[in-house]
Amino acid sequence: MAMDVVDYEIFGSEMQYVEVELDPGEAAVGEAGVMMYMQSGIQMDTVFGDGSQQQGGFMGKLMGAGKRLLTGESLFTTVFHNESSGKRRVAFAAPYPGKIIPVHLSDIGGTLICQKDSFLCAAKGVSLGIAFQKKLGVGLFGGEGFIMQKLEGDGMAFVHAGGTLKELVLAPGESLRVDTGCVVAFQPSVDFDIQFVGKIKSAIFGGEGLFFATLTGPGKVWLQSLPLSRLANRIILSAPAAGGRSADQGSLLGAGVLGGLLGGND
Amino acid sequence: MVCWAAMTEQTFEGRLFGPGLPGAGAEAVGSWDGQGRLRVVVEVTPRTELLAENPAIAAAGFNAASLRITWDGDAGAYAFVIEKDAALTACGVSAPSGIAGRILSARGARGRLERRFRFGGVLLALFLALPLILIGVFLLNSDRVADWAVKRIPHEQEARLGDLVLAQTRLRMKILDSGPAVDAVSAIGSKLTTGSLHRYRWFVADRPDVNAFAAPGGVVVVFSGLIRSAGSAEELAGVLAHEVAHAELRHSLRGMVKSLGLRALVSLLTGDASGGVFADAATRLTELRFSREAEREADDEGLRRLVKAHIDPNGMLRFYRKLASEGRPSPPPLLSTHPATGERLERLRREVAGLKQKWVPLPIDLTSLK
Repeated sequence: MAMDVVDYEIFGSEMQYVEVELDPGEAAVGEAGVMMYMQSGIQMDTVFGDGSQQQGGFMGKLMGAGKRLLTGESLFTTVFHNESSGKRRVAFAAPYPGKIIPVHLSDIGGTLICQKDSFLCAAKGVSLGIAFQKKLGVGLFGGEGFIMQKLEGDGMAFVHAGGTLKELVLAPGESLRVDTGCVVAFQPSVDFDIQFVGKIKSAIFGGEGLFFATLTGPGKVWLQSLPLSRLANRIILSAPAAGGRSADQGSLLGAGVLGGLLGGND
Repeated sequence: MVCWAAMTEQTFEGRLFGPGLPGAGAEAVGSWDGQGRLRVVVEVTPRTELLAENPAIAAAGFNAASLRITWDGDAGAYAFVIEKDAALTACGVSAPSGIAGRILSARGARGRLERRFRFGGVLLALFLALPLILIGVFLLNSDRVADWAVKRIPHEQEARLGDLVLAQTRLRMKILDSGPAVDAVSAIGSKLTTGSLHRYRWFVADRPDVNAFAAPGGVVVVFSGLIRSAGSAEELAGVLAHEVAHAELRHSLRGMVKSLGLRALVSLLTGDASGGVFADAATRLTELRFSREAEREADDEGLRRLVKAHIDPNGMLRFYRKLASEGRPSPPPLLSTHPATGERLERLRREVAGLKQKWVPLPIDLTSLK
């Protein structure tokens, strides 16, 4: 299975998009709805299911689509095919503040396990599958749920997550405790487990929850500093409609002044 | 000796992690030598060859799906991770006997994980299917459950339910409490209900339909249309006997217990405890339909009561036949709620033909009521 080699460029700092350059005949697959712009000559084709290869007949396609539904992706993927005779560009934008990480799958052994929902785009030929988290404790308390996404192939894949992303290399036996929900992706050679925070007092009042996620090397892991759900929680908490305090914007006569006076300076 | 050499030649692919290697590991090929040492060769330039003394073996990685062989080298800790199934098998098969056991037990850890995951899945599926299973069990045993529950309902409670149904019926139609029609009905009815535990109350509804119903606790409502179409007091007695039999056998109560039980179960499982269950139970009671079996029971019991009261059961037969042969596009309500009319008629005819008793004519003249 020949993978398409893709040149790319990532723009922006906190709200990024990636521009992918396609040689004549090359193609990229994108999550439905993330395309930002494309140059003329690129043919867009929406395919049912995986989009990695046109194989397997109807049932195969149905299975692929079912998998995508489970991982929280949409049923359709879009394939962007360069039909022209020159190089053409297509851009994919991240749907919320955060960073885009490019991963060369062949560098890490061909497989990447990542958080569901985090796939952005990839070279055509990368297959998107699901990886069930089979450790029950990790599935329940690990912060990533029972369903993770597995990207397989040897081309480029772009994964997106919230806040700042950190790529870490864990040496053999080296272990890292991570707040649950902050794990974005890891190599399959990495042990993903959970660990009780240690003390009842910390579990209840510490604000980190009952468990840490632990990652044990060897291998590469990617962490996010701000999971989207945490950001969403904060936004909802401070939304005036949900009873949050309004920080003094708005007109002089509006609720902003009064809210600002009563709410103090925060 | 040749065979031994061939075995030790067997190699398996994996990824080597360690000092001086890429963070994501490098593709490497491993093989066991005769002394239980692991030889790992990284083919890409610069070619590296490592010999692992006394390696530790564990199931590792995502879902413990891979095998991790770790050892301390000169420069630091190394790990050789085998992921592919074919390589795992090759590694296990070619390992010296001491190490093969450790590989087997490490792979057993993966099996346990799989089993626990599957067990969890089955538990989850059972938990999700629990409401359906409960409802299914209830439906299968609803007769037994209803019997059990009905036996525990005292007659006073049943009478109170009857009052409720009556009150609901009064809202929908005009009910006569007294008058010549009510007197006639109660005169016939009291003959049929001697010795009953229920305190029977008889009513006539001013409606043209040919219908009658028995609510729990001995409330019997006869529609005036039925009295009008009855040819004689014996015919009316036949219908009354049937309705009395329903009341005596507590059919409506059983039906209510069943539907209530189901609705209570459903609301329990769906968490909808808004109390709607009990509010319209009484309404539903008035439109209860009995099963075919309940109808047959009521026919038999009604016939027995007619015979006991020395009332001619041919009246019952005549009236049923009349209803069945009227040839309306839709059968009258009394029959439409009572399935398989022909079959029931035939049964009744046979039973009545077998009776050789003297009948006492009822001293009631229905023609004066019309």
